[in-house]
Amino acid sequence: MSTPDRNPQSGAAGARVAAPTGGAFLTERQDANTVLIPEAFDDDLKMFAQTARTFVQREIVPDFAKLEGLDYALSRAKMATAGGLGLLAVEVPEVYGGLGAGKAAASVVTEAVAASGSFNVTFNAHVGIGTLPLVYFGTEEQRARYLPRLATGEWVAAYCLTEPGSGSDSLAAKARADLDGDEWVLNGTKMWISNAGFADLFTVFAQVDGDKFSCFLVEKGAPGLSLGAEEHKMGIKGSSTRQVILENVRVPKGNLLGEIGKGHRIAFGILNIGRFKLAVGASGGAKQLIGLAQAYAKERRQFKVPIATFGLIQEKIGRMAADTYALESAVYRLAGSMDAATDGKHDPAAQLAALNDYAVEYSFIKVFGSEILDYVVDEALQIYGGYGFSADYPIELAYRNSRINRIFEGTNEINRELTVDQLLKRAMRGELDLLGPAQAAMLGRPVETVTAPAAQADAELALANLKLGTLMVAGMGAMAYMQGLEREQELLARVADMVGLCYMAESALLRSERLQGARGGEVALLLARLYAFAAVDRARDLGTEALRRIPRGKEALPRFQAYLAERGVDLVELRRQAAEAVYAADGYPLG
Amino acid sequence: MKAVTIIKQVPDAEARVRAAGGRVDLGGVTFVIDGMDEYGVEEAIRLREGGFELEIVALALGPSRSEDALRTALALGADRAVHIETDAWLDPLTQARVIAKVVEAEGAQLVFVGGKQADWDSAALGPALAEVLGWPHSDWTTALSLSDGSARVKHDTDGGQEELTLPLPAVITTQQGLNEPRYPTLPNIMKAKRKELAKRDLAEFAPGAALTELVSEDIQTQGRRGVIVTGDAVSAAAELVRLLRDEAKVI
Ligand SMILES: Cc1cc2nc3c(=O)[nH]c(=O)nc-3n(C[C@H](O)[C@H](O)[C@H](O)COP(=O)(O)OP(=O)(O)OC[C@H]3O[C@@H](n4cnc5c(N)ncnc54)[C@H](O)[C@@H]3O)c2cc1C
Ligand SMILES: Cc1cc2nc3c(=O)[nH]c(=O)nc-3n(C[C@H](O)[C@H](O)[C@H](O)COP(=O)(O)OP(=O)(O)OC[C@H]3O[C@@H](n4cnc5c(N)ncnc54)[C@H](O)[C@@H]3O)c2cc1C
Repeated sequence: MSTPDRNPQSGAAGARVAAPTGGAFLTERQDANTVLIPEAFDDDLKMFAQTARTFVQREIVPDFAKLEGLDYALSRAKMATAGGLGLLAVEVPEVYGGLGAGKAAASVVTEAVAASGSFNVTFNAHVGIGTLPLVYFGTEEQRARYLPRLATGEWVAAYCLTEPGSGSDSLAAKARADLDGDEWVLNGTKMWISNAGFADLFTVFAQVDGDKFSCFLVEKGAPGLSLGAEEHKMGIKGSSTRQVILENVRVPKGNLLGEIGKGHRIAFGILNIGRFKLAVGASGGAKQLIGLAQAYAKERRQFKVPIATFGLIQEKIGRMAADTYALESAVYRLAGSMDAATDGKHDPAAQLAALNDYAVEYSFIKVFGSEILDYVVDEALQIYGGYGFSADYPIELAYRNSRINRIFEGTNEINRELTVDQLLKRAMRGELDLLGPAQAAMLGRPVETVTAPAAQADAELALANLKLGTLMVAGMGAMAYMQGLEREQELLARVADMVGLCYMAESALLRSERLQGARGGEVALLLARLYAFAAVDRARDLGTEALRRIPRGKEALPRFQAYLAERGVDLVELRRQAAEAVYAADGYPLG
Repeated sequence: MKAVTIIKQVPDAEARVRAAGGRVDLGGVTFVIDGMDEYGVEEAIRLREGGFELEIVALALGPSRSEDALRTALALGADRAVHIETDAWLDPLTQARVIAKVVEAEGAQLVFVGGKQADWDSAALGPALAEVLGWPHSDWTTALSLSDGSARVKHDTDGGQEELTLPLPAVITTQQGLNEPRYPTLPNIMKAKRKELAKRDLAEFAPGAALTELVSEDIQTQGRRGVIVTGDAVSAAAELVRLLRDEAKVI
């Protein structure tokens, strides 16, 4: 089993990018020098990104309308071209014709391909949920048979988990697999399967003996395998989405992927990475939309001036920029951690175990990524006014395409639940010390000083206390409801958002700390402070609502509000400045 | 056989540059390999793919950041790279004298030079290099084939075309139309890391005193004319066309 040693990106001053334990950011601050930031990408990453962008410009943009019209042959041709460039091979081990590169490398490609409309879904379903089950769970034989073809785009893959009756509750699938001699016999219906219309390989989840959730590889053309009609969707209309129907489909015994009854490991492990990738794509999409929105705002004149000069337009653009900056910072920080965590691990199972360490992060980053993209596309449309609503302008399509992100790879409701669920599990398993810090936060007093560069010390102080406030609400909630916590979903979701805000704000600040005095440093500082102080405001509302509900929570409100103290920063002014930075850069001002 | 392709790094076409204090300020600008130079690299790779045993050496003369452009050339398919590092501004003839020394030392038979630099618009390097080397030169080349120690080229003239043969060694300057350059594949980007990129010091080549000196630079900006064409649509359109053709001379 070979994935070669990767050379993880180095951080500042030769420090290696670190892999802190998942969730540890709530109680420890990572050294900024050990964080991966886009400005410190090595040549490979920069050139990978450039090739992916050129691919989109030369191959996707000229055929954009045709691809959005759903054209199987053209989609396949573009996948083959992407394969020829190596874009489908990034995460495939070298021995199977891949590059054996890491998540940072995959991310720069994902971000660039995000600008390709529906094709983005085709591409990601293939390289992510389509290919990765084999990368992490395939036997030597299975990997040798399929990965080389998937890496070149000769074959396209689909991932079949959802059923008409089971979406979020995916383990309740009804599809079944029965062993008959040397063959598995599969029966069932899979729903909403991306790439189904032109896929060659289907990764299908089914129950063995009624309740042993398992996973199988099914090739196109297998007798009994058929497809439903194309779904009529709101967006990503150029991505094939069909039912996959299995009627007594027979596959060789060797087509079991992983072990009988261990299918959930595949499903959840792959979804974890899928969530991360979705957030990476959202970052790429948001940057592109900021470029469009600011250009339109400068060009469009009303009341004799460009609408870009109006405060309410600047406010939108300023927030878009800060949110996107925080997302981009968080995404690459996490990619860096993922690569550092798997560095030197050769066994795919060990790699996946290391990656699963960040399950908390994947869940909230998926929520934040999809919601930031939806915010950005919604306000971009608003900036375009009536033209935003017209299909002759690019925003209308982007708006429809964006919406799916809050639904697939686990709905945002499910991912909010998972954020807290996984955090508590990690604490219970002793992988993370939360109990002590939460208790301390419940009794403690606000931090008054932090060591941080002077220019961002105010925001760092706010962040340090935001973490305490978050731990306090989480701790009180856990104590008040104990085993019944899962019935308090509203509370869980609020804690999840606060946890996510901590990570996002911290990632924004870590990056601006690194960029002090460097190119982009001033803009990074502006956007990081803007994001961090807005995060505190949001968290204050979330935590206050949570505490009002928790028994004895009301008494704790003053302590909470002391953590989340009013800091008197004029965010309106910061958003105006952020908009100016976007205008000056003719688009997203970093990265 | 050996071919040297000259690589220059230039600001990205979309970069916004400013002039300050008589110098163009390149701070914050993204740099790319000059598109004209990509034609040269591509042509060399195609010759090799067409069966010529050709070693392709990418050569840059410029500041340390030029290394990125050389990496791109290596990722495209050049076999190795030579970087003569300098922050100095050099006139084309001085550049040609330095480059000629490397070309001679390499024993190259073929040199590709971009027809015209995308940034400073100079079209002098190719002819100057041919002059220094005493080699034949094909200007604005749109087609190239090799046989029996000579090159057959097509060359655009104003409104026409001519075909020439040149004995090797020769200098070929490129232009749009010569080929459609590829872009680097991910595997080739990774392989490029293992290729040799030799650093050389400009002083080694004793470039001598510059022949011309750069006094100041400015960027052309054109103010808006602020003309509003009035009248009904048909006559206004006609007037607009007249203005664009006769006054602005852009159509
Ligand atoms: C365009 C498209 C492409 C897709 N591609 C694929 C694919 O390639 N492969 C694949 O396997 N699947 C795919 N899916 C399926 C997708 O993953 C599911 O739609 C998703 O998991 C949600 O399931 P569902 O649609 O059945 O909604 P449901 O699970 O029925 O959820 C409905 C609503 O209830 C909420 N909800 C459900 N359970 C809870 C809970 N416990 N607590 C609180 N709220 C809850 C959900 O958040 C949601 O708001 C795709 C879907 C679409 C639309
Ligand atoms: C489907 C559809 C049906 C329509 N039907 C009709 C109809 O029947 N009759 C009709 O007359 N019109 C109609 N309209 C036009 C509609 O009223 C305009 O689209 C709307 O008034 C906005 O104008 P605009 O699209 O030119 O946007 P713009 O005015 O260019 O506005 C663009 C953006 O700038 C913002 N903006 C503009 N000025 C300011 C300011 N001073 N301060 C802050 N922000 C500002 C806007 O809020 C918007 O976000 C229709 C439009 C659509 C899309």
